[in-house]
Amino acid sequence: MAEKPSQEYVFVSYKLPLPYRWAAGKYLSKLYKEMRDHKKLVTNRCPQCRQLIWPPEMVCGRCKVRAGDEWVELSDKGKVVGYTYMVVPLWDPHKGMRVPEEHPYATILLDDGMYVVSRLEEKDKSKLKVGMRVQAVWKEEGRGHGLDEDILYFRTIG
Amino acid sequence: MANRVAIVGVGQTHHRSKRPDVNVPELVNEAVRAALADAQMKMKDIEAVFVSNMEMFEGIYLPDHWIADEDGNFMKPGFKIAAGGTSGIASAKEGWHFLSAGIFDTAMLIGFEKLDSGDTTAAITTATTLAWGKGEARGAIGEFAKQAANYMQQSGATDVHAAMVRLKADQCACRNEYAHLKLGLKSVDDILKSPFLEWPLRLLDFCPQSCGACALIIATEEKARKITKKPVWIADVVSVHQLPFRAGAFCDLDGREPYSEDLASVKLYKRNGITNVRRDIDMAEIYEPSNWEEMFLCEVFHFCEKNEGWKMIEKGMTGIEGEFPVNPSGGVISSNPIGATPTVRMAECALQIRGDAGTHQVTRDVKAAVATALGGPNWTAMVLLKRSL
Repeated sequence: MAEKPSQEYVFVSYKLPLPYRWAAGKYLSKLYKEMRDHKKLVTNRCPQCRQLIWPPEMVCGRCKVRAGDEWVELSDKGKVVGYTYMVVPLWDPHKGMRVPEEHPYATILLDDGMYVVSRLEEKDKSKLKVGMRVQAVWKEEGRGHGLDEDILYFRTIG
Repeated sequence: MANRVAIVGVGQTHHRSKRPDVNVPELVNEAVRAALADAQMKMKDIEAVFVSNMEMFEGIYLPDHWIADEDGNFMKPGFKIAAGGTSGIASAKEGWHFLSAGIFDTAMLIGFEKLDSGDTTAAITTATTLAWGKGEARGAIGEFAKQAANYMQQSGATDVHAAMVRLKADQCACRNEYAHLKLGLKSVDDILKSPFLEWPLRLLDFCPQSCGACALIIATEEKARKITKKPVWIADVVSVHQLPFRAGAFCDLDGREPYSEDLASVKLYKRNGITNVRRDIDMAEIYEPSNWEEMFLCEVFHFCEKNEGWKMIEKGMTGIEGEFPVNPSGGVISSNPIGATPTVRMAECALQIRGDAGTHQVTRDVKAAVATALGGPNWTAMVLLKRSL
């Protein structure tokens, strides 16, 4: 049973700055470099089930075999399959602050059958709907550090 | 032939948003003492301790070492499991394995979390592989918001149905002395006027961050029958992992991948001769981080047909007096000490089977109950508990 505060409780505060530096690995690095240098999405194909793996990686989780290096260029167009928008800004540990967002964000199913999560250009909530066609708008200067680093948002198309 | 294993003791804390009066080991000790008292056992009777907790929520590397005096683990075997929302059942599963195999005859399963220590959502955000899913800092809320929006669109449920689930949860929580949020909500309007957190989730549509611990004592058959007249048998445990985070999509939204809940429950029902879920099982305690999720989970666990999860609440089936109670404890939306949450689900099922749930004892006679947990990228752990085997 929680005791009623009858004494001064002591708290020890602690800020933990823990910088990390992750190796993206062979497969993600290939994707990130293609995005940075050619504004293209690429991935590898499983030699057994022939399905495209996403994100690119060395093992096909379904077949449990080495996925290999058969690389395929992907469309940067797709459709929105789910969306939401933040009303109360949440703490972003990658940025170390609460980040309010201007743009709604969505799970997008690309035409080649893989999901990406990205912001949407469309800010008018009444115009958001599942099934809407979208295409990536690339940043002019990509950093090659991940999808959100190189894709600005997805724009509604036709 | 594997040993039969039963839950013989149950203990939990009064879950709260803040517990300034205790540190982590002291919090855990409350649940440990309660379970020992319930089983009328001493710590010397416990052979091993299995712990469930997520280090990053409290920011303590090796929390199992910190609590080793207060949880009785000192100089005994056991280990900690951190598997997100499934941890509590994952650690129970490991304890069950060891007892089934005859390695130990008694063990304690402890789940705990003290979420007033740090920022849970920030910690959860690091679950997306940081070289891949970075920049989508929404923790669990964003994913459940998208699932809610999708469920609304697919099933025909409205926010009124979600509010009915929330109201039911609060009515249950108000009857459970251990529950954290007891809001005394009067009508669905109380929920519908709460502010949006992340569309379409309102503040009252999502689980709180709680401080709490829960301990279960399990024993092999011969011991169990000596310890208690009311052993609760662990009939089966199933866990299924989903493919890891792809684009941060929590589930497969276009139906190409099966849901881990679907695979796990079908396997559990088949192995245990359950052909009509609502007839053969009497109630469920499920891990529903949001009210929307409860309606969806009722479908993927096959408590009802697809797109009919919202009809269960509309017909009043899932309340304490309903024909198939779901989360009569008030559920996760009322109390969520994450590492303890699945342990609490098992504890609550055990109390219902024993008839010891007190003011929130369900009307239906509970001979079999299912406890479930959900974690990380939609992986599922399920336990089937029974009064007799």
